[in-house]
Amino acid sequence: MSDHTVKVRVTDLHKSYGDTEVLKGLNLEVQDNEVVCMIGPSGSGKSTFLRCLTDLEMPTKGQVIINDHDLSDAKTNLNLVRENIGMVFQHFNLFPHLTVLQNITLAPIQLKKMTPSEAEASARELLAQVGLADKADVKPNSLSGGQQQRVAIARALAMHPKIMLFDEPTSALDPEMVGDVLGVMKQLAQDGMTMIVVTHEMGFAKEVADRVVFMADGLIQESGTPAHIFEHPQNPRLQDFLQKVINV
Amino acid sequence: MKKWQVAVIVLLATLGSWVGLATQAHAAKYTIATDTTFAPFEFQVKGGKYKGIDIDLLQAIAKKEHFTYQLKALSFNAAVQQLSANQVDGVIAGMNITSARKATFDFSKPYYSSGVVMAVTKDSSVKNFKQLKGKTVALKTGTAGATFGKSIQAKYGFKIKYFNDSNTMYNDVKVGNSVACFEDYPVMSYGIKNGIPLKIVSKQHEAGDYGFAVKKGKNAALLKKFNAGLAAIKADGTYQKILNRYLHAKESSITGETASSRTFFGLFSQNLNTLGKGLWMTMELTIISIILATILGLILGVLGVMPGKLGPAISSTLIYIFRGMPLMVLAFFIYIGIPDLIGHGFKIPAFIAGMITLMLNEGAYTGAFVKGGFQAVDAGQMEAARSLGLPYWKAMRKVVMPQGIRIMIPSFINQFIITLKDTSILSVIGIVELTQTGTLIIARNFEGFKIWLMIAIIYLIIITLLTWLSNWVQRRIN
Ligand SMILES: Nc1ncnc2c1ncn2[C@@H]1O[C@H](COP(=O)(O)OP(=O)(O)O)[C@@H](O)[C@H]1O
Ligand SMILES: [Mg+2]
Repeated sequence: MSDHTVKVRVTDLHKSYGDTEVLKGLNLEVQDNEVVCMIGPSGSGKSTFLRCLTDLEMPTKGQVIINDHDLSDAKTNLNLVRENIGMVFQHFNLFPHLTVLQNITLAPIQLKKMTPSEAEASARELLAQVGLADKADVKPNSLSGGQQQRVAIARALAMHPKIMLFDEPTSALDPEMVGDVLGVMKQLAQDGMTMIVVTHEMGFAKEVADRVVFMADGLIQESGTPAHIFEHPQNPRLQDFLQKVINV
Repeated sequence: MKKWQVAVIVLLATLGSWVGLATQAHAAKYTIATDTTFAPFEFQVKGGKYKGIDIDLLQAIAKKEHFTYQLKALSFNAAVQQLSANQVDGVIAGMNITSARKATFDFSKPYYSSGVVMAVTKDSSVKNFKQLKGKTVALKTGTAGATFGKSIQAKYGFKIKYFNDSNTMYNDVKVGNSVACFEDYPVMSYGIKNGIPLKIVSKQHEAGDYGFAVKKGKNAALLKKFNAGLAAIKADGTYQKILNRYLHAKESSITGETASSRTFFGLFSQNLNTLGKGLWMTMELTIISIILATILGLILGVLGVMPGKLGPAISSTLIYIFRGMPLMVLAFFIYIGIPDLIGHGFKIPAFIAGMITLMLNEGAYTGAFVKGGFQAVDAGQMEAARSLGLPYWKAMRKVVMPQGIRIMIPSFINQFIITLKDTSILSVIGIVELTQTGTLIIARNFEGFKIWLMIAIIYLIIITLLTWLSNWVQRRIN
C-alpha cells in the first residue's frame, strides 16, 4: 500500500446474521487525521460496521484494510491490528475489578512490555489529560458515567492507537456529563487523531467532523461535509432523520 | 516461582507419596479380603485392628505355611466382587460354599459348619415362619441367611429388605421396621451374648460349610497352603483354641471394653484414636479432592466458554457424564470396573480410586458453575479486552476470570462442603473414613445412637470450620 494517507479503506462490506443482512455492501475511505461522524437511525448497522473494523465481527463478504493491514488476510495478526485501534464503547466496559490506573496500564504492561512504573507514569499523564488526575486509585464503579467514559478514552489512548473508534460514547450519559466527554474528544480531534465517531450529538458532528456519513438500512445513503449534510440534505430519509433528531 | 506452581508441586508430591505407599503395601505376598462386621468371625477391636475366628485362623495358617498377606476389610459384597475382579487374592469372610459360587471360585476344605436361624426382638410374638405373612424380613446380601430367606419367601409370603452389613440389619429388626432377620447361628448367638436385643426362635436350617475362596483357576498354591495349614492347626489344637476363644467368651474380654465405658464420653475417649484416624482420612480425601476437582472444574469451565465448538462440546459431555452418574456407581466403576476391564492383575488402591471418583464428580459440578460464572461476566468485558489487543487467553486470565471467580466463590464454598460430605460414600469401596469408622465401631459395641451422634457432631464441627475458613478467604478476596 503506497498511499499512506488512507487509514481505512472498506470495500463492498457485507455482514449477515443468519438470514438477515445487516450490512449490504458498504464502501468508505478515511484519510489520515480525518474525523468522520456517522449518524443514522438505530438498527441501521452503525455498531456492526465499527465492530467489523476491528474484527470483533467477521464480515460475510468484502474487504477491510485498516492501518495498511488487510483483515481478511489469514496472515494478519489481529491482536497487533487491534493494538493500533482504540475502541470506545457506549457502556464504557471498564474492568470493574481493577482500579482506574490498572484499567489503563493493563494493556501497555501486557503488550508493550512496559515496566509498571513507566506505564503508570504515562497513565497518570493521560488521566490528567482527561481531567481525572485525582481518580487514579479508585474503582471505576465509584465514578460517574461521564468520568468512566473519560477513563475508557484514556485506556484506549494508552496503547497509542493510530485510529480511534467511538460507538455512541455519550448515549448512556446523563446530559450534564456529555459536555466533558465531548470536550476530550474535541481535543483529540484537534491534536490530529484519525477518528470515526458514531453519534447522535449533531452539534459535535457539525463542529468537529471533517465529514458526516449518513447510514440507513445497512448502507451509506449520503456523505459529505457537515455543511452539506446538515444544510442541504438530498436523500429523503436523511431529511426525515434530521427532522426527527432536531425536533427532539 | 509463583504460588500456584508451588501448590501444584506440593500436590504432585503428595500424590506421588500415596502411590508409593500403595505400592509398598503390595510387598505383602497376598491380599486377602474379609468382611467388616461379622462377629465372631471378623470384627474390629479398639485401635482399629481386626479380630475374630477367620482372622485368627488365617494368621495361624499363614504362620504355619510361611506366607505373608495384607488384610483388606470390605463389605461382604465388595469383597466377593473384588475377588472375581482379581483385585484380591482370596476372601475369608464366613463365606458359605455353594454350588453357584463354585462356578466362579475355588474353595478350601470347609473350616466351619453352621446353619441359618431366625431372630426376632425379645418381646416379639413371632415364633415360626407362618407368622411372617405380609411382614418384612431383613436379610444381609450374599449370605446363607439371604439365600435361605429368599428360598422360603414365596411359601410364607413375606417381604424382603436387603442390607449390606449385619449391624444395620439387626437394627432394622430392633426398631421394628422388619419383624425378623435370618443369620448364621454362631454369628447371631455371639451377637446376642454381646448385647444385641434379639432372640433366636428357630432351629438351624440349611446347614452349610464356610470356606476360604480364591478366584477359579487362580492362586492354586495359596489354596493348597491354606488346606495344609488348616489340617496342621486342627491337628495341634490351635484350631479348637481359636474357636473356644470366640464362641465361649464375652466380647468384652476380647476388646477390653467395660460396662462403665458405655457413656457418651466414655465411648468417645475409648474410640478417640480410631475416630481420629477416620477423621484424618476424611480430611485428607476432602482436601486433595477439593484441589483436584477445582483444577478440573476450572479447566472444564474454561473449555465451556471457549470460542468454537470443540471446547464447549468436550466440556458439556464430561460434565453431563460425571454429574449424571451417582457417586457410588462411579466409585465402583473406577475401583472394580476399570481393573476388571484392563486385566493383567492391574490394581487401583482404594484411596486413589476414591480420589479420582471425587475429582471427576465434584469437578463436573465445579465445571458447571465455573462455566456459568464466566458466562455471567458481561460480554463487553471480553470485547473491551480484545479491542485493546489482548490475545484471547490473556483477556480470559486478566479480565474475565478474576471477575467470574468472584461470582463463583459462594458456589465454591458450597461445593467444598458437599465434597466433605460425599467422602462418606467412599466407604463402599473399603476406605475407612469417618463414616465407615462409625460403622466399624458400632459393629462391635452396638451403640448406634451415641456413635452416630458423635460422628454427626464431628462432621458439623469440621463443616463449621470449613465455612469459617471459606468466609475468611472470601472477605480477603473482596
Ligand atoms: N449478534 C447479532 N445477531 C443477530 N442480529 C444482530 C446482532 N448484532 C446486531 N444485530 C442486528 O443488526 C442490526 C444492526 O445493529 P447495530 O449494528 O447494532 O445497529 P446500530 O448500531 O446502527 O443501532 C440490528 O437489527 C440488530 O438487531
Ligand atoms: Mg449501535
